Amino acid sequence: MALVSLEGVGKTFRGKGGSWEAVRDFSLGLEEGEFCCLLGTSGCGKTTVLNMLAGFEPVTAGRILLDGQPVAGPGADRGVVFQGHDSLYDWLNALDNIAFGLRLAGMGKRARREKAGHFLRLVGLAGQEGKHPAELSGGMKQRIQIARALAADPRMLLMDEPFGALDAMTRAALQGELSRIWAETRKTVLFITHDIEEAVALATRIGVMTRGPGGTLKAVVPVDLPFPRERTSDAFMAVFRQVHALIHAEIHPQ
Amino acid sequence: MRDRVATLGGFAVGFALLFVAWHLAAVYLVHSVLFPPPSPVFWRALDLMDDGILQEQVVASLRRIMQGFLLGSAAGIPLGLAIGSFRPVRVLLEPWTEFFRFIPAVAMITVAVIWFGIGEESKVFLIAYTTIFVIIISTAAGVGAVAKDKLRAAQCLGANRWQLFTLVALPATLPFILTGMRLAMANSFVTIVAAELVASNDGLGKMLWDARLFMQVEDIFVALVTLGLLGFATDRAFRLAIRAFAGRFNPTM
Ligand SMILES: Nc1ncnc2c1ncn2[C@@H]1O[C@H](COP(=O)(O)OP(=O)(O)OP(=O)(O)O)[C@@H](O)[C@H]1O
Ligand SMILES: [Mg+2]
Repeated sequence: MALVSLEGVGKTFRGKGGSWEAVRDFSLGLEEGEFCCLLGTSGCGKTTVLNMLAGFEPVTAGRILLDGQPVAGPGADRGVVFQGHDSLYDWLNALDNIAFGLRLAGMGKRARREKAGHFLRLVGLAGQEGKHPAELSGGMKQRIQIARALAADPRMLLMDEPFGALDAMTRAALQGELSRIWAETRKTVLFITHDIEEAVALATRIGVMTRGPGGTLKAVVPVDLPFPRERTSDAFMAVFRQVHALIHAEIHPQ
Repeated sequence: MRDRVATLGGFAVGFALLFVAWHLAAVYLVHSVLFPPPSPVFWRALDLMDDGILQEQVVASLRRIMQGFLLGSAAGIPLGLAIGSFRPVRVLLEPWTEFFRFIPAVAMITVAVIWFGIGEESKVFLIAYTTIFVIIISTAAGVGAVAKDKLRAAQCLGANRWQLFTLVALPATLPFILTGMRLAMANSFVTIVAAELVASNDGLGKMLWDARLFMQVEDIFVALVTLGLLGFATDRAFRLAIRAFAGRFNPTM
């Protein structure tokens, strides 16, 4: 049985200006341990899908099952890495931000700092534990978000364009690290992006969405390439072209 | 360290310029016994301090401010948190805050004296009154301004409602609370002088009033300068305290 299954999920926002269908009839299963990228143009409903799976917002059609149980709200089994930096706690230093979930679980100060230190080093921030978010670069903040989510030991990670606002070099470096961390921890990952190369570099499967409104899953492309991936290899380029063709049709419809 | 020296140096020069301007205005512009230059005021202040009179007035005023301010804060912060967190509480209490907010403490002096007499209670009541609404409003605004992702992140790290409140909403609101307290402190100075002018046996406001009665112009100016310096020092102390214990909460302080 799949770890997660989204079955005919839909989301319609209702507000003063009428209703807006953001996601329509979205179905996808996620297997334990896989790295699935969700790719789509801006506004197609990627964040909306993630918010429903995280339990932040209810579905308005279909259902989402986690281990066979319907998702009722947010929980520690699904770690989230957010699109911006707003989610970090400005008043805590890097180490205590990472340890936050452990603190919530009632772990003692020494034990949780020790464990958080492990994840701090895992994301390559050794020596930065005493800095506060205001003193960290954008890339460092995303590393902290990733470490904070991992430290709470969730069943799966939901990541919403975590590297979207970074420069190309930092992004490539973080992609490499995320790939290594995933290989080490074997967490199930749902990773949202609108960068085709990023998706092909990271994913074991790529879900391509149609453009909004009413975005839905258009195709799922398996990526059977060994890690670490050689971005200039023919096999990589072949997958890139295949996905590009799918996305291109959404940006320039006939 | 060098920054601090530069800041202190800047303040010293700024104050010196203020006194020079005062001196020039009094000696060359106004020529009146009703507007003395700084030097006689300074000597008069030393005389008053020799007798301990000035200190007495300062202590009397500051004690009232501290008592009322702490009382107002202790009531205002939880109320502001409740108003910001729970819609029904807001709907219920907003008419109260929006009603009393527009009745200034100065207008309440009359009833305060009728209810509590001219002793300490009326002053403490007035300071608490002027403090509480500013703090309620800034605290409630702070609760509303907590970034949604901060709460969501905590929820998917397993936070329960109590943890969401104490470990996320409260610390995220602290800069707003402290800013509200700073504003309320400024209001307290205005209110205490007005209250002591009208009904009091001591304090800087009473000193101002008596000096006017007996035409002791230097005494009036001693009281005014003391108020200015006290206010300035209090605000600096507040900012330093905020930076020392909560600077991390608010990088802009
Ligand atoms: N709370 C809301 N109320 C009304 N409409 C919303 C709401 N949230 C999202 N939408 C709409 O739903 C659509 C999908 O939004 P969503 O944030 O999921 O896009 P996205 O694919 O994540 O885009 P991006 O790549 O730019 O982050 C958009 O048209 C957006 O305006
Ligand atoms: Mg998005």
